[in-house]
Order: sequence, then structure tokens, then C-alpha cells
Amino acid sequence: MNDASVTIGADGVDVGQIVEEIRKTVADKMQSGAYAGAQLARAERYNLVNLKKHENFFDVYMESLREAVSVDINDFEIRERRGCAALVLIPLKKVIWQLLKFYTYRMWSQQNQVNGLLLSAIEEVDRKYRVQLRTLEDRLAKLESRVGT
Amino acid sequence: MGTKRRIAFVAPRFLLGKSVGGAETLLRRLAEHLATHDYDVDFLTTCAQDHFTWANAIEPGTRRVGPLNVYFFPVDEDRNKDSFLAIQDRICHGAVISREEELEWHRNNINSKPLYDYLRKAGKDYHRIIMGPYLFGLIYSACLIQPDRTWLLPCLHDEPFARLTTIREMFHTVAGCLFNALPERDLAVRLYDITDKPAHIVGLGIDDFTADAKAFRCLHKIESPFLIYSGRREPLKGTPLLLDYVNAFRQRTQIDLRLVLTGTGPIDPPPSLAPYVLDLGFVTETEKHNAMAAALAFCHPSVNESLSIVLLEAWLAGTPALVHAGGEVMPYHCRLANGGFWFRNYPEFEEFTMLLIAQPDMRRNLGVNGRQYVLRNYNWETIGQRLCVALT
Repeated sequence: MNDASVTIGADGVDVGQIVEEIRKTVADKMQSGAYAGAQLARAERYNLVNLKKHENFFDVYMESLREAVSVDINDFEIRERRGCAALVLIPLKKVIWQLLKFYTYRMWSQQNQVNGLLLSAIEEVDRKYRVQLRTLEDRLAKLESRVGT
Repeated sequence: MGTKRRIAFVAPRFLLGKSVGGAETLLRRLAEHLATHDYDVDFLTTCAQDHFTWANAIEPGTRRVGPLNVYFFPVDEDRNKDSFLAIQDRICHGAVISREEELEWHRNNINSKPLYDYLRKAGKDYHRIIMGPYLFGLIYSACLIQPDRTWLLPCLHDEPFARLTTIREMFHTVAGCLFNALPERDLAVRLYDITDKPAHIVGLGIDDFTADAKAFRCLHKIESPFLIYSGRREPLKGTPLLLDYVNAFRQRTQIDLRLVLTGTGPIDPPPSLAPYVLDLGFVTETEKHNAMAAALAFCHPSVNESLSIVLLEAWLAGTPALVHAGGEVMPYHCRLANGGFWFRNYPEFEEFTMLLIAQPDMRRNLGVNGRQYVLRNYNWETIGQRLCVALT
């Protein structure tokens, strides 16, 4: 069975072609470094599971990991949506935050240390395998050329 | 003239108030359509109204709601929620679980023994029993009661639950399936090898409307271009991703792109984006359509859709779509309709948004194409015909 009952609209634009062109543009721009940076890695934090399917997933993932590896344990702006209660709730939240920070600072510092070590380990494994793969590819190319001659 | 053919619909919820949730809306509207076209339609559901608590909020019994006879049955209160959540968590994380554990998960999901009793007693009086969506314990158990006359309207997504052995068995047990779009059918064939099973692609009819973009812009004093998202706001629907993308877009391009949200569920925009997000919450259909018509594009970042009614509504409002490429159904619609683009990552999102801003004529053409696509393929006459063929 097919979906022949669906009529295709095709007036004026070909979205498939535009999508392909945009993907080519993006690939070029990525190579030139136009889409590098922590800001982009942060924007992709909810998209990692979908990026897995793409060829360049590992590079994007590593960039995101570098961005996210350090748990932010600094102070942040404390807000309160209910305007009428803000006068009371904001100072209260600030006190709670100071207490939490006092008790959890040591734990989070250690977590950051562990995260940093794990990241270094993954980078090293990646580097090692890339070198090994390159060596194997070179050997294969040499063998193939020898067989060819 | 002979007697009307009796059809039953089964769904976990039937909201008496404002209706949210695509699958529920889909089943209800199909039921209402049949009820006004020579079918005698009963809608079997639970007394629950809230999909978080599943508490029995209304009295059991039968009520006439519009053209439907709605049978409300109480949700079983003996479920072991802890066991249900523990197994569900393992399924979500891709753990291999046994068939017995799957059955336990179904047993502790949403169930209604009185509804099953009714189906056992009266199920044979119905020409067809249509039920969905697939992942509720209620639907799993109900499917097994009168399988020869049961048609599943699964609203299937590619997710860990879809890969359970018992779900596969359910697809093989029922008499046939009604799908919303070809990619959903293809997914079912891929997962369950049901090529021999009767399957029809039906979808949902969308009533045409006129929308007033100017009225929305005047009412909310928005001059800047904006993207709109309508529906439930939750991680599964991709709304946190959309917030991050719009925030990054504003910071990188310095273009004053806004974001308008309608629907329910909490949002937590980054502080730098918060002043530029207009969260309208639950709005009337007219206001939603006006907002859609005024938008630069309707953006749907979910990868878990089997139809997306809001996408079709946005197209009817003449607005192009910008959807996540990770799902199969929405990019499929965009390609067929020539009515929108699909992005895989932030850079593509940025390029498509820039393109829509820079080329208003193309944007308009995409919107017109989308509207034509919905008018041609998702009018009630066409859908009604597909549904009647499926029920013959």
C-alpha cells in the first residue's frame, strides 16, 4: 500500500533542493569556523541524542562536553515570578542558596575535578584511535598500491 | 434503510473541558465525524481528566457529549506506581527487560477493569472498535478482548516503548491499523513486519478558517518577526531546544527575533531570552490561528510526532513550517507540501530562519503551498472517504 491519496503541492519552490543547498552552505561555514564556540555547543545540549545519527556527531559532542564539563557553582540572579511576594521570597531564596552553596561547594568542586579527568581521558582515547586508524589506513593504501602494481 | 452501524472508540481520556493532546483530539474528532455520518458511535474512556494524576475526576456513567455517547469508566486504583515507574525508567534507558516485566508494566499502567468487562459483554455488538494511542496499558489490554474487530490507531513514534515484545504482539493481534501518515505506517512495518495486516492511512480533517495576523500584532504590540510553537511544552516536544536556539539566534545575529508560545506546560527560558518570549498559555482557537498567521514560521522542534495537527493548522493560516529533521512525519509533510524546511542542528536552524526573514516572497509561497496541501489532503470529505474505506 502506498500514500497515493496524498496530493503533492509544488508551486514556486522546491524545499528539498533548498534544504540541500543550505546543508552545503552550513558544511562550508562549519569548516571555516563560522559555527564554532561555546554558545553553539550550549544551544545543542538538548539535541545531542539526535546528532548521534550524523557523521560529525563526535566532534560536536566533544565540543558540547567541553562546554558542559564544569558544573556552574557560582552565584546566579535569583528571581521571583510572583511580584507581590518578591520582597520576602527573594531574600529568603538568597539565604537558602548561601546555605546550600556552603554545604555543597566541596562536593561540586570534586565533581568538576572528576568531570575534567573524564573529559581528558576521552580526548586521549579519541586521539589514540585516530592515530591508529590513520596508520592502518596508510598501511592499507600501501598494500593496495602494491597489489595494483 | 438499515440500522446504523455501531462503532466504538476507546481512548484513555475524554476531556469535558478544553482539549489538549494530539491523540485524544484525533480520536475524538474522528468519532464525532462518524457520528454525524450514519454511524452510531460510542466513545469508551476513563473518568480521568488529568494525565499526570489519572485521578477519577468525574462520575462513572454514560453521557451524551455532542453527537457521541460517552461511557466513562473508573481507572483502577490498585496500580503499583513505583513498579510501573521503575520498569518504565529501564525501558527509557534501553535496558533489556523480560516479557513478564513488560506485562507488569502494562498491569501497573492506566487500566480500567469495568471498561474491559463492558468490552467483553458488549464488544460483539460493535462493527469496529477503534482504539489508541498504543502505549497505554488500557489500550494494550482492551486490544486483546475483541481482537477480530479491533483496529489500532497507534500514533506510533520511534521510541523505546515501541520496541517492546508485547507491543509487537499487540500489532499482530488486532484486525488492522489506522495510521496518520505514510512514515508512521513504514515505521510499524519496519518494527513489527505487519505487511500482511490491513492498514489504512487516514489522518484528520481540519476545518478551514480565516485568520487575522494584524489583529494579533496590534493586540500584543509585536512588530518584530517571531516564531511560534503551539502545543504541550515539555522536553519530549523539544521546547527547551527551541528556547536555546532562539536565544543563540538572537545573540549571534543581533536580529530581534521573538518567540510566541501557546499551549500548556511550564517553560524556563534563559534569562537573556525571557523578555522576548510571549507565553500566551491556553488561548482560543481564533487567537491561536491569528498568532500563527502573524508568525514568520511555525517551528516544531519535536521528533515524536505521528501527525502534528498544529502543523496543519499553521499551514492553513498561511504560515510556513520549520521542523526538526529528526522526526519522520513532519519533514515528510514539508517535502510533500513544499511548505517548510527541516533542520538537523542549530546552524541549519539559523540559516533557514535567516532565509525566511530575507525572502518574504518565498516565505509567502511556502505558506500558500502548505495551505493548499492541507485543503487538498486534510479536508473532512477526503478524510471521511478514507475512514469509510477503512471501516468497510
